[in-house]
Amino acid sequence: MGDRKSNKPEYHRADERRFLDERGSSGPLAPNGLNPATILEKAVRERIVDSYFYKEQCFGVNEADIVDRVVEHVDHIGGVTGTVQKPTPFLCLAFKLLQLAPNDEILEEYLQFGGEKFKYLRALAVFYIRLTRQDKDVYLKLEPFLEDRRKLRRKGRNGVSLTYVDEFVDDLLVKDRVCATSLWKMRRRDVLEDLELLEPRVSPLGSLEDLLEERDEEMKDGEGGGMGGVRVGV
Amino acid sequence: MSNKGSAYGQAAGDTDFRKKYDLDEYAAKAAAREAAEKEERKARWEAKMAGKKYYKPMDGTETLTTARNATQDFSKMVGTTSLVPAGAGVGKRGRGAGFYCEACDLTFKDNLQWLEHTNSMQHQRNVGATGQVKKATAEEVHARIEALWQRQQELKREQVITLQERLEVRKEEEEKEREEKRRKRKEAEEKKRLEKEAALKAKTDYGEDVRIEGEHDEDDMMAAMGFTGFGTTTKK
Ligand SMILES: [Zn+2]
Repeated sequence: MGDRKSNKPEYHRADERRFLDERGSSGPLAPNGLNPATILEKAVRERIVDSYFYKEQCFGVNEADIVDRVVEHVDHIGGVTGTVQKPTPFLCLAFKLLQLAPNDEILEEYLQFGGEKFKYLRALAVFYIRLTRQDKDVYLKLEPFLEDRRKLRRKGRNGVSLTYVDEFVDDLLVKDRVCATSLWKMRRRDVLEDLELLEPRVSPLGSLEDLLEERDEEMKDGEGGGMGGVRVGV
Repeated sequence: MSNKGSAYGQAAGDTDFRKKYDLDEYAAKAAAREAAEKEERKARWEAKMAGKKYYKPMDGTETLTTARNATQDFSKMVGTTSLVPAGAGVGKRGRGAGFYCEACDLTFKDNLQWLEHTNSMQHQRNVGATGQVKKATAEEVHARIEALWQRQQELKREQVITLQERLEVRKEEEEKEREEKRRKRKEAEEKKRLEKEAALKAKTDYGEDVRIEGEHDEDDMMAAMGFTGFGTTTKK
């Protein structure tokens, strides 16, 4: 992650036409090598650019305006809802981010300073990072938020449900489909550790090894292996 | 410059000069407009030949396109010049039924079409915008987050205040209600008391010999049972 000093143009197009035209090789690629214009599925993309929310609230928006839109309009995560498969404001804004391609400095603002204040801004940022960053960076950027216990509402085709920031982050790390979007296949964490691309993750609750050892000892003591709800499946 | 003997010296000559100057300027403007129109026709033709869409060329006075500030409230537009009564064309040049765009002199049949139009490059150019949006820096993003956070805290404080105010208002209302009930109760008591007094007075006025139907039934009954000297019939 290091496009901090890039020489990208100072301006965005207000609309998405050119962005979508550049779906060949001409457009700039995301850090994970994917073309941002094709990261969301075609049918979903079409529903997004056709939606009233997108036309009204995503036109002429820049990286700072994104924050306004999240604060004003995002009160749930999710992909598409209802029988007409209407895209959520969350997904529309994710698509807008794919066009804006915010740099890492801006993403840090979304994640940290903004994310502390506005949980849906953090949710949007982790989703966007999962879609565009290299696997090792996805782990590094997302794992700290496995400690974020704030509630999130999730809307999908099956209605509304309750989830948490940490649960959403975990979904992004382990599932292959989230918010009507197929997530690109990342290498497993232990593979990246073997390649020495990542240090073993140290959870504030203790390292995975410690937890496993504890459990082994407990098993030996015949007390059963309660993990106490600690999630270790990364 | 000849002196035409105007009482005001050079004034007459000046007027002539201005007229001539205005004419010259008018001719120059007409020529410029003609040239511009010719230029535009040529540009339109070239754009068409190249399979592109023609937009009014920019002259450097354009501003950047910016995001809408808030959700367009179309209900607010009802009754303004933007919403014109039914009867004319739809999605066409000039004013008609639906949503009218002043800058482009076009009318659209519904808010969606109108919205799509405002997003179009044609419209952006007609309102003097470039269709380009300035990128935000991380500092600007940071500042925006801070501003939105402050606004939200402010709103929350206001809500707390209005809640407190509402509670106070309710307390006052309840107090008033209680006061009103008390007043009514007192009134009723007073009324009863007055009625009683009036009845008493009437009886005294009528004297012993006057009997009101049923009034002394109880006394009669008591008397029949051998009791006397109760209440108002003590004189008996
Ligand atoms: Zn217009």
